[in-house]
Amino acid sequence: MSAWRDGIRRVNAAPAVLVGVWALTLLVSLPLGVVMRGMIARHLGRSQAAETAASGVNYDWMQEFAEQASGVGVTFKPTIIGFGAVLDNLSAFLDNTPRPTVIVAAASAYIVLWILLAGGIIDRYARDRATHAYGFFASSGVFFFRFLRLAAVQWIVYAVLFGSIHPLLFERLYPRLIHEMSVERTAFFTRVALYLVFGILVAGCTMIFDYAKVRAVVEDRRSMLGAIAGALGFIRRNAGAAVLLFLLNFALFAIVVGLYALVAPSAGGTGLSMWLAFAIGQVYVAARLWVKLTFWASETALFQERLAHAGYVARPEPTWPESPAADAIQP
Amino acid sequence: MRRARLTLFVFALAGSTVARAQPGTTGALTPPLSPRNANYTITAHLDPATRTITGSEVIVWRNITATPATDLQFHLYWNAWKNTRSTFMREAALSGGAAEAASRSADEWARIDVTTVTIGGADRTSSKRFIAPDDENANDETVMSVPLTQPVSPGGSTRIEVAWTAHVPRTFARTGAIGNFFFIAQWFPKLGVLQDDGWNCHQFHAGTEFFSDFGVYDVALTVPTGWPLGATGVQRERRDNADGTTTHRYYQEDVHDFAWTTSPDYLERTARFEHPSLPAVEMRLLLQPEHASQAGRHFDATRTTLKYYGEWFGAYPYGHITIVDPAYHSDAGGMEYPTLFTAGTRWLAPPRVATPEGVAVHEAGHQFWYGMVATNEFENAWMDEGFNTFSTARAIAQVYDPNYLALRYFGGFVPHLFKDIALSRETEGNRRAGYRRDAKSDVPSTPSYKYFPATGGSITYNKTALWLNTMERWLGWPTLQRIMSTYFEKWKFAHPKPDDFFEVATTVAGRDLDPFFDEVYRSSNVFDYGVQALRSTREGDQYHTTVVIRRYGEALFPVELLVTFTNGEHVSEHWPGTERWKIYTYDRLSPALSAQVDPNRVLLLDVDFTNNSMTLEPKGGPAATKWSLKWTVWLQDALLSWAALL
Repeated sequence: MSAWRDGIRRVNAAPAVLVGVWALTLLVSLPLGVVMRGMIARHLGRSQAAETAASGVNYDWMQEFAEQASGVGVTFKPTIIGFGAVLDNLSAFLDNTPRPTVIVAAASAYIVLWILLAGGIIDRYARDRATHAYGFFASSGVFFFRFLRLAAVQWIVYAVLFGSIHPLLFERLYPRLIHEMSVERTAFFTRVALYLVFGILVAGCTMIFDYAKVRAVVEDRRSMLGAIAGALGFIRRNAGAAVLLFLLNFALFAIVVGLYALVAPSAGGTGLSMWLAFAIGQVYVAARLWVKLTFWASETALFQERLAHAGYVARPEPTWPESPAADAIQP
Repeated sequence: MRRARLTLFVFALAGSTVARAQPGTTGALTPPLSPRNANYTITAHLDPATRTITGSEVIVWRNITATPATDLQFHLYWNAWKNTRSTFMREAALSGGAAEAASRSADEWARIDVTTVTIGGADRTSSKRFIAPDDENANDETVMSVPLTQPVSPGGSTRIEVAWTAHVPRTFARTGAIGNFFFIAQWFPKLGVLQDDGWNCHQFHAGTEFFSDFGVYDVALTVPTGWPLGATGVQRERRDNADGTTTHRYYQEDVHDFAWTTSPDYLERTARFEHPSLPAVEMRLLLQPEHASQAGRHFDATRTTLKYYGEWFGAYPYGHITIVDPAYHSDAGGMEYPTLFTAGTRWLAPPRVATPEGVAVHEAGHQFWYGMVATNEFENAWMDEGFNTFSTARAIAQVYDPNYLALRYFGGFVPHLFKDIALSRETEGNRRAGYRRDAKSDVPSTPSYKYFPATGGSITYNKTALWLNTMERWLGWPTLQRIMSTYFEKWKFAHPKPDDFFEVATTVAGRDLDPFFDEVYRSSNVFDYGVQALRSTREGDQYHTTVVIRRYGEALFPVELLVTFTNGEHVSEHWPGTERWKIYTYDRLSPALSAQVDPNRVLLLDVDFTNNSMTLEPKGGPAATKWSLKWTVWLQDALLSWAALL
């Protein structure tokens, strides 16, 4: 619990990190949002159908749009409205629903950017004091290629999970389990059980990779395989604490999603209400990011706590040359 | 045998006496409502352990055509699911059914084997053969022909005795078993329909359903004791046997098919439909335990059908109806049989979402369009499915408006209601989106079984519903209601063809509707009218407004043009719509605000309604901004979902 509280404190103490990753999320999304806007505007043109589309939902028009849409446009469906968006994405995640190439490309770019920033973020939380932009980006740069190597391992593991284990569970085992099942409720709980199995596998892997990153940063590890082995060792020795911490963080995620279910804006109109709805959406996005950062910060805090070295980071804090004159110094 | 016949005779006499007052408790109808020329007395035994049915039947068939019958043709529908070589399975593969078929074990396929055929006392078993009148597929065994030693002349009758065994499949086409749930339809050797030009006895096709003559069904079914059983007709007798089985005897007059279901899990509920001017109907519901709380919704939906279809088209005369709530995963839902239908609901069924109401109203509605007006579903499937889709949407709008869009997540289990999206009768009720996608896929006048299997439904159901609703908006509901009720009254308990409906429609409407039917029935042309240009330019102290409207599609329909000016003035024009385009000009003190083709949206078949209007004060920009912002939040959430793996 102390690591969890400490993690929350560390995230709250570094609001710039949260703002930064929120801005990153927005910046990756906006170009595609602009593309989508152009598609919608072109399809509506000067049609009066836009009036009902602007004031609420013109479902008939939405279906006409969907039928002619291509690329990113095929994702424009009623499910984007309000809490439907969250359900759609969570469901797609758990059901391993394929997404259009352009969305996969955006997600890939987003993940690469996260890999770039991860070193700086964990370093900031590990030191538990301001590292400023230069310290942040210096650490980001130092760990980028290490984390890229780690990402290669992650990619293989997740490819096995989503490419082999998921189909095994949901395309082979699940149909067999419900083959002669004639009660929907039983089939649903069977599926929930498989979601739990798959979720635990994914969560377990995520936890290992999280601690691998933490150990890489705190102990300045260069071998990512070594970091993974270290993470496994740490989790094994501190299984109760690591799992409890994960569950607490997951509870935060559930709370954020639950709160958004209560306030998620409906279709609404244009003008101020449109921007207000977008703002609520951004608060939700920021809250989700805050939870993600809390995962990393609290895991860092736990690791340091168990080492009895709060705030310890093996690598010296990066410093910037004090003066441009330093560049002029000849050896 | 003699005693049995005497008992039957006495029973029938008693039944006919009671029938006048209580058709709902006897299955008898006096006087006869139909020709009753194909009468079946069937005895069958179900062994759930081996999923086997052993049956025998006596058919008394009368030739009501002007042509002598030289052979008899029987449907053996279950042979369609014998292997992948049948015409049904080949067609199913075209619409993506191959993978499902490949995953079946040997025990999950079906078959029906006729063991003996006796006609007029002569054993004709050795002369039976399979024929494939539709595609000459030598591997199709869904139609059996038995030559007659002596033709049955017009007006003549013959007695046919058939014995068979059948294996119940894992559900195909809403027929079969899962766990201990059994839904048994198209299960006995059934005669085709003899017409003046010969037998109408098609092979079983993946995209179409059935066609048979009216008659009296007297069916004794033996199933394990304690298993509730529902069937066409009413139960006249139940007898517990010494071997742990129970025999249920069901009886119904003036129907053209017989289906039944049994499962130890069924809950049974009853209710009654009453109406000041329509006959009362006893409703029996066989319900899955997990849907116990939804019994009222099933009854309400059935009442809705009996009331509105009864008021609009004609009364339901049978006095009873059985509603079957099929087991999850059985794929038996959403199907109609005389006096019995399968609905279909979900464990999580939020209110204000038309599940189970939509399917229950639709399938109950088939009692009218299929059950009584018994069109040929092989050749003119649109005449029951399309009429009924239209009628369903209209009935749903009377009682369940608004109902909302619900999407299901997490393996299709968890519903989420979108209260922003109230479903419209005209578009969602008539399934416009599906029609628009497949609008040109087939000409409706093509025999339905020849439609492309993957898209045939869009023509059968959607296009027909849309053009009927277009007729309603064009001619007015009172006229269309008179057309449909006249057609119903004239053709109930008979087999009308498309021209029979068109003839009634033209006569009742008092105008030539053939050009319309040419477009919607005899062609695959699409309707698409739109505003191509709208301009208002100042000329002196006036504004010169130009509107160009265009016919983008090939199909013709007269449309209105509504031009609105900024001072609130409206000008309405009537355009026959036969030319490719037309220009209208106006000189007014105010500039135009908008122009709209078909402003009242009469022509529901128009495949692109977005292009029907144009305004000089467009809102496309703000609307696009609003929706792209919403989409951006969805995308951000999607990115976060995957970033969770980091």
